[in-house]
Amino acid sequence: MSDMVELARTPVVLEVPATVQALGDIAAFVLRLAGRAGLDKRASYRLRLAVDELATNIVMHGYRGGDGRITVRGRSGPGGVQIAIEDSAPAFDPVAGRLPPCPGVPPQDRRIGGLGIHLALTSVDEFAYAHRNGRNISTLTVKAEGTDPCPPRP
Amino acid sequence: MPLSVSLSIEGDTTVIDLSGELDAKTAPDFHRTIEKAAGHGTTTVEIRMAGVGYMASAGLRSLVFAQQKIADHVTIKVVGAIEPVSRTIRTAGLDRSIVLSDE
Repeated sequence: MSDMVELARTPVVLEVPATVQALGDIAAFVLRLAGRAGLDKRASYRLRLAVDELATNIVMHGYRGGDGRITVRGRSGPGGVQIAIEDSAPAFDPVAGRLPPCPGVPPQDRRIGGLGIHLALTSVDEFAYAHRNGRNISTLTVKAEGTDPCPPRP
Repeated sequence: MPLSVSLSIEGDTTVIDLSGELDAKTAPDFHRTIEKAAGHGTTTVEIRMAGVGYMASAGLRSLVFAQQKIADHVTIKVVGAIEPVSRTIRTAGLDRSIVLSDE
């Protein structure tokens, strides 16, 4: 965790069933934290996109449409927002599953699923993955615009 | 926020007008409309996205689906997408085969 971002000590927590219907609840939760941190429109969009893509991946590929739950823990502060997304699906490291666009392959032949993870990882300022006690834990940070010396490329 | 999808024909252009949020939950509505548009046989399919405030990779999947369903000689245009949405389309490299336009 960067010392540039000052965050609340106690996270706020949302736990939802791993369904497509719950993605809207996760988005609303994340955007509330973005608002509390004072993130501007662009940083809020990046945060929402990253969490949405990771959560969608858990629903579609992690639990493969079966029963499961997703826990989202969020901490906001004046410098940004940190979100931890947890699930009990089989171990999956998003960094290993990332699929950057391949210029040599026609768009219609590309795996869009891997692109979702790529979008998520290129939208955040910091990302870490851990597998602990049978749970996948992805932790990401989006900093307020102008506070990160190396922000994601526009 | 739900997605509102409308389909119309203007001259030789099939127009799909989208408004709302395009994500894993709402993309199936867009998919169904693309299937209908593919049967119109116009020379251009214009997807108006100025009213789309958010698009996830599910929207990219829909655009790829459009390329697969709609005949090769038909021009597919995405019109009026806001900056973060057009950035997502460019990140996926879809701007090489779909015309991105501001107007």
